[in-house]
Amino acid sequence: MNRWAFWLRRLVAGAVALVALSLLIFGATELLPGDAVSAVAGPTATEEERAAVRERLGLDRDAATRYLEWAGGALRGDLGTGYLGARPVTEVVGARLPHSLLLAALALAVTVPVAVVAGLAAGMRAGGPVDHAVSAGTLLVAGLPEFVLATLLLWALAAGPGLLPQVSMVPLGGSPLDAPEILVLPVATLAVSGIAVATRLIRARTADIAATPYIEAARLRGVTGPRLALRHVLPNALGPAVQALGMVTGALVGGAVVVETVFGYPGIGRELQEAVAYRDVPLVQGIALVLCAIALAVLLLTDLLARALDPRSGGAR
Amino acid sequence: MDPIGRRTLLRTGLLAVAGAMAGPALLTACGTGGEPAARPQQDGRRGGTLRAAFTGAGAAETLNHFTGGTAMDMVRARALHATLGDIDPTAPDGVRYGVLDTIEIATDLSAYTLRLRPKLTFSDGSPLTAADVLWSLMSPADNPASLPVYKNPAANFDFSGARIEDDRTLVLPTLTPIADGRLLLCQGNYLVVKEGSDFSPGTPTSGPFTLQEFEPGVGSLLTRNDAFSLPDADDAPYLDGLELRSIADSDARAAALTGGQIDFAHDLAPVTAQTLRGDDRFTVSSTEAPYVSGLFFRMNLAHEPFRDDRVRTAFKLAADRQAMVDSVFFGDAVVGNDLMSPGFPDYAPEIEQRPFDPDRARRLLREAGADGMSIALTTGPETPGMVEVATLYVENLKEIGVDATLDELPAGQLFADYPAYARLPLAASFSVPTPALPLYQMSYGGQNPSALGWDRPDVDALVAEARGSSGAESAEAGLAAQQVLWEEGNTIAPVFKPFTTAAVPGVSGVADDLFGQFPGFSRTSLS
Repeated sequence: MNRWAFWLRRLVAGAVALVALSLLIFGATELLPGDAVSAVAGPTATEEERAAVRERLGLDRDAATRYLEWAGGALRGDLGTGYLGARPVTEVVGARLPHSLLLAALALAVTVPVAVVAGLAAGMRAGGPVDHAVSAGTLLVAGLPEFVLATLLLWALAAGPGLLPQVSMVPLGGSPLDAPEILVLPVATLAVSGIAVATRLIRARTADIAATPYIEAARLRGVTGPRLALRHVLPNALGPAVQALGMVTGALVGGAVVVETVFGYPGIGRELQEAVAYRDVPLVQGIALVLCAIALAVLLLTDLLARALDPRSGGAR
Repeated sequence: MDPIGRRTLLRTGLLAVAGAMAGPALLTACGTGGEPAARPQQDGRRGGTLRAAFTGAGAAETLNHFTGGTAMDMVRARALHATLGDIDPTAPDGVRYGVLDTIEIATDLSAYTLRLRPKLTFSDGSPLTAADVLWSLMSPADNPASLPVYKNPAANFDFSGARIEDDRTLVLPTLTPIADGRLLLCQGNYLVVKEGSDFSPGTPTSGPFTLQEFEPGVGSLLTRNDAFSLPDADDAPYLDGLELRSIADSDARAAALTGGQIDFAHDLAPVTAQTLRGDDRFTVSSTEAPYVSGLFFRMNLAHEPFRDDRVRTAFKLAADRQAMVDSVFFGDAVVGNDLMSPGFPDYAPEIEQRPFDPDRARRLLREAGADGMSIALTTGPETPGMVEVATLYVENLKEIGVDATLDELPAGQLFADYPAYARLPLAASFSVPTPALPLYQMSYGGQNPSALGWDRPDVDALVAEARGSSGAESAEAGLAAQQVLWEEGNTIAPVFKPFTTAAVPGVSGVADDLFGQFPGFSRTSLS
């Protein structure tokens, strides 16, 4: 298959997946108990007041009509307006998403080098002491839920010794980079989780490649150590590694919901959690769709990058 | 009061015709705009910036307090806009006026005349007039998105017949005669906004502070409004600035306090507050009745066993109220008597305290043929202590032979589907500080859905009579109504919990604002 056909197929698959996800998101929010009327009108509202609120919010129309209107708006970049604060969803996403992307980017910047080095070191000598140590360590960390990891880090670095702030409060009118100390714990939580998962994926692929005949042949020719790892194993492991990191990146964006909530960091994840708590359906739908689109875009990009880096495709030289 | 979610605590909480005295002098703390410790002051009273944290709602936070129902929205609004007044039983009229000089009541209770203090201005120098007061009271009624509390004046006053006699005089005819209109209007949450305001960040303010920065879900920065004055404190407000931070979780607010990121943390969970009480670096304060929130359970009269008075009484006698106060709130709460609004002037303290009497409860159940009945109590973590109190109550019910189970919903779900909530056989809820009789009319009488089947026109009439009269006649009718509620009502209200705050040493005057559940900081100073 030529490169352009591959790209086209991936794009179409991504678009279909996004449509399917939008249906899933809309359907899931439809299944939430109650509707926004209770939240907006208040518990003491009369039936007439509830009906007026329902009509004002457009909830008196059938679900198919509302989905088509929402999806059509999303295509035009209009994700609707939050029920409670009456703010455009795109405005909320625009304010909060950069904060979350900053967390994810910093976490990825820590994750990639550590995971590649640890994964290569463990996979090159599968079954050896380094592999045992790395595998056991990453298995332990990967098994920890993010909120547990976050709590442990909070206790170890903030609550006890007071080295770091316990709550990630962004300076008013400023950016998180104005107070970099507030980023340390959220980034560390995301990075530790990401390193554990990515290391295991890279280690597995490295071990497979290290056992192939051409690597064995290189060893017989006297190529060993870092030279073998960097010149012969790594190029073949890069493609799968990039795909693994793509999955980790998706998890980093998703993991932001937990991490941002635990640390009170004003990102898109915390906003999603608040929107769910307050039944602000347009906000939930909009944020979920944007997160899904980001995850799909990252997977698409890593697919393309992995293909370009695959020595068999002639992309990597 | 009723089913309220975390957001609607605040939304109905705003009803709070807060009364009487604030709790003990609150907090101490000092702070500066971005520094961990208080900034030294020149004169020991004026100056400094207080950093305070409240429950917010992310992007849903708004400058329009008519529609925004979080603690953060209300506190911000009280810092920006002046009140008509606050309930203060020590004052001659039972209220301490804000922008008002007096409220005069027609002898036949057909009209209220509101007179403003002279020379009031907004932060832009424009005069604050009777037209602004009328607009602030009237405009929410026309907006379907307004919180129910802000529609309440329109349920009592005839705004179409309102007269502005001059810049300082507004006459409001009543729809039906009411004697407690002062309490109704001076609740602490009726604020004066400039007529026609769009609530944009540049809107002129009449309160102690003006807005410098507003980021929904993050916080607000306010600075002193020099155009503001209090009738009894010329040099207030004392703070140079106020930094309000939105932190949803009680533990996170406490963590920000202990970590030096804020100076004042609002509405702490009982365990968190207890932990901070043991720390000398902080002062923990709790509001007292009437500024307390009721945790209660309501029996649905559509559910067969609860139609029998004996079963309802048995369920009330089963509650070990003191154990709930001691174990859930470490003693920092008030035992309830199955009536709302303890501490308010219209509450009936004469009614005897219901005892914990499991033996009699068992007997009553047997007599009613309901021993061994099955029931699920539905609750959720909508306010601190709610699930814990429900858990203990289920154990109490088991002790009298009821096959009781607890159905705990995730946060935010209990009231999300309100029609479904109104069908629950036994449902948890909580109230916010509101006088007893207006509260009855707003959320219990008149077949209100939140009353879960309570339909007693005779009690409705007694409450209307109490509100439409004064003196002994009013007290007698109010007592009679509450006696019926105590004997036959379908509410078990075992505990009233305070609003607990904590601060670093150095802050004073927070409680002097009254309306203790949502401090406005107009009298707060740092030392």
